[in-house]
Amino acid sequence: MSWLNARPGTRVIVVGVIAALLAPALGRAGIVTDYAALILGTGVALAAAGLSLNLLMGYAGQISLGQASLLGVGAFASGLLTPATKLGLPFLVAIPAAALAGAAAAFLVGLPALRLRGLYLAVVTIAFAFTMTESLLKTQSIGGGSAGINLPRPQVNDFIFTRNADYLGVLLALLAFIWWFDTNVTRTTLGRAFRAIKSDEAVAASFGVNVTAYKLGAFALSGAIAGIAGLMSGHLVQTVNSDSFPYDRSLLLVVVVVVGGLGSRVGVLAAAAFYALYPVLMPHLFGDRILGYDVVIGAALLIVTMARNPSGLAGAIRQQLAERRERAVPTVAPTGGVMAMPKLPSLPRPTALPERPTADGIVLSARDIRVRFGGLVAVDDASIDVTRGRIVGLIGPNGAGKTTLFNAISGRHKPDSGRVELLGVDVSSRSAAQRAAAGLGRTFQNIGLVRDLSVNENFLLAQHTVAGYDPVSALTYFRHAGRGETELRERAAQAIAALGFERYTDTPVANLSIGQQRIVELGAVLLTAPEVVLLDEPAAGMAPAAAENLAERLVDLRNELGRTVLLIEHNIPLVLATCDELYVMAAGRVIAHGTPDEVIQDDLVLEAYLGGAVL
Amino acid sequence: MGEVFVLGAIAGGIYGLFAVATVLVYRGSGVLNFAQGEVGTLGLFLAVWLINDHGMPWVVGALAAVVVTTAIGVLFERFVVRKMGDAPRVSVAVATVGLLLFVLSGELVRVGASPKSLPGPFSGNGWRIAGVVVSPTQALSLVVALGVGVALATLLRRTDFGLGVLAAAQDPSAAQLVGVPVNRVSAFVWGAGAGLSTVACLLVAPGLGAFAPGALGRLFLFGLAAAIVGGLTSLPGAFVGGLVVGLVEASSGRIFAESSLPGVKTLAVFILLLVTLLVRPHGLFGTRESRHG
Repeated sequence: MSWLNARPGTRVIVVGVIAALLAPALGRAGIVTDYAALILGTGVALAAAGLSLNLLMGYAGQISLGQASLLGVGAFASGLLTPATKLGLPFLVAIPAAALAGAAAAFLVGLPALRLRGLYLAVVTIAFAFTMTESLLKTQSIGGGSAGINLPRPQVNDFIFTRNADYLGVLLALLAFIWWFDTNVTRTTLGRAFRAIKSDEAVAASFGVNVTAYKLGAFALSGAIAGIAGLMSGHLVQTVNSDSFPYDRSLLLVVVVVVGGLGSRVGVLAAAAFYALYPVLMPHLFGDRILGYDVVIGAALLIVTMARNPSGLAGAIRQQLAERRERAVPTVAPTGGVMAMPKLPSLPRPTALPERPTADGIVLSARDIRVRFGGLVAVDDASIDVTRGRIVGLIGPNGAGKTTLFNAISGRHKPDSGRVELLGVDVSSRSAAQRAAAGLGRTFQNIGLVRDLSVNENFLLAQHTVAGYDPVSALTYFRHAGRGETELRERAAQAIAALGFERYTDTPVANLSIGQQRIVELGAVLLTAPEVVLLDEPAAGMAPAAAENLAERLVDLRNELGRTVLLIEHNIPLVLATCDELYVMAAGRVIAHGTPDEVIQDDLVLEAYLGGAVL
Repeated sequence: MGEVFVLGAIAGGIYGLFAVATVLVYRGSGVLNFAQGEVGTLGLFLAVWLINDHGMPWVVGALAAVVVTTAIGVLFERFVVRKMGDAPRVSVAVATVGLLLFVLSGELVRVGASPKSLPGPFSGNGWRIAGVVVSPTQALSLVVALGVGVALATLLRRTDFGLGVLAAAQDPSAAQLVGVPVNRVSAFVWGAGAGLSTVACLLVAPGLGAFAPGALGRLFLFGLAAAIVGGLTSLPGAFVGGLVVGLVEASSGRIFAESSLPGVKTLAVFILLLVTLLVRPHGLFGTRESRHG
């Protein structure tokens, strides 16, 4: 069937329109009874609620134990707008209003998430849920007191969606809309940024992801979907009060999302269908005794899922599939044993990349950087300059402060004093993500990739700042977002082909060998279109032959790709073979600077490395 | 003023007990156990079954409740927490959310949603202090809270096992290397946490009148807030936090009538929690953490 091969966005719209038209038709034909439509509608609304939490927990990795109260916010927002006794606004106006209210509430809940880590965030969200249901939603002005409020069914001219089957059509259309929206999140920079944050915030920032903004964005988007989901179920049951969105509903949503597979839309849909249909179908088969066990089963599955595989059932299935594919592909490197470093790709300049100063001279300068950890001065007024088109080495014994200086330069840690200039601009007060966007690429000692994303997805993520579309157009996947994505995918494919990694395109990075991961990491850094590349021990863990090969590639990086490199490395032959100049650090200070030949003769350096007494 | 203090102290003792249970688990394995309140409530239903339906003495019913819930804590540690090894602490917390929902929905299926009530250990009218009637059970709860505090402090500071508990969460592998029985420590804190929560539930239940599944969730949440206000790592801090939360609750109830602002006490404690987390995340007595959850 050709439409199955259509773009995912088109496909969900087609399915949504068909389902939305089919439901009222089946209702009128008597095939879907009023009661059945109510049950199905409950499931559709639950699926929408599940998708809202799925975005937050499954994609962005932010825990929320109070999602149901955001549903309440959406429903009550609509309750203030739509009833004829209040403002009497049309349903179509209430949808964006509910989304906005949910987004605003979630944004506020998310603010503490910037300072707090997971466990505290869980407490805040659960406390928020209690406060909503016990306090704010009980007030007369918002929640209508204990009587609650009435939410009228939507109306178009004289036609009112009174029949459940008719309203089910509306619900299906809204679910399709949310699904489409969610697809746009997962297939663009947005979803990749979320998943990078979930996996490793420092890596995300090194690819230019503004972690703060995207975290809050995840809360707001999740809240917007939750607001609509609340409106959907509110207008289905038509009366809501503060007890309509109890906190155990939030916990059930956690079950739906986690057991459904943390990040899997289909898993969420299946779990929602189970919870909608169980109370209706199962008593038919087994009698009323088994009523209520659906939640018991779900909770038990949640415990088992977490104990066995925290990425959920769908995650377990995905892993199985990946392993099967893995077995089909030989992991042995083509050169037999040692993974040679392939030629680095020469990639086209991203069209969205802003012009950068091209003048020769010093492109990276760190002045008087000082970093203290408590009483320990890890970097003691260190200064280094890196000239365009050179490979500059930074060597020194373990604990000399090399990586700490790197982190201060890349913006990962804020130094206590000192300034950093990149391409002649003072970037001292900029974040790691902003420095990455300005042309500073870096690798990490323990591999700066998102381990559970595939090679291809990492390469797409790496192009975060050069995607050429903003998050808002990503959400709607308007034309230039689509064009931008096409370009990203082409560049990623080129890089994969140049590295000879075609067979690993969809392999999670975690399944590759360390040597392969180093290659992918270098490829990813190049895809960020950096001017200056900071490499932190790229040869660590490499076989000597592979390291020799790496030396050639570093020279290519300078000569053919025109990059400037700052290199931390313990492998002295590699350093001597590649570097144009060397800085030597010991005990936080720069103790020597010069050409490799000069430095290697320096008494201070020999003393730092070997101890003075030996020589 | 005196009234607020008496009300705050009585409630604060209960929150302190919940908070101590939370702090124990946190110190022993770096996790918040969200299921504790509901596991304690399960203990209540067991006590109701034994005392009301089978005419057992209060002490027997209460003891059985504490023993059974302690066992649940130990089993959960053995078969879930330990299996998860060094998985992110948030994942373990999500597993406790599963336990919470499992117990809650299990109660709803087996006991039903209709409220039950449990008598206190003593009869009697209690005493009038600063215009507040303090029941014998409420007086007992303060004594128990103090006793538990002193006993735990002695255990943790004076015994090798206790020092092991204190060391375990800071660095599990280092603790293991110096001979701390990490698994036993972990089993102890999860069991003791569940048992202590049940004690808190047993002491607060007579004053509540009737309770249904989930009804003590709010009290447990206040205990959680107390633990965070106190600093999450500090046992005395847990009791001080309990007192602070109790006082904030009682005084907010005095300033705003429930009719003008519903749930004002919950709102006040929520604000207290948020302010603590944003201004002083390590609480009143907690240590700044190097380990991230």
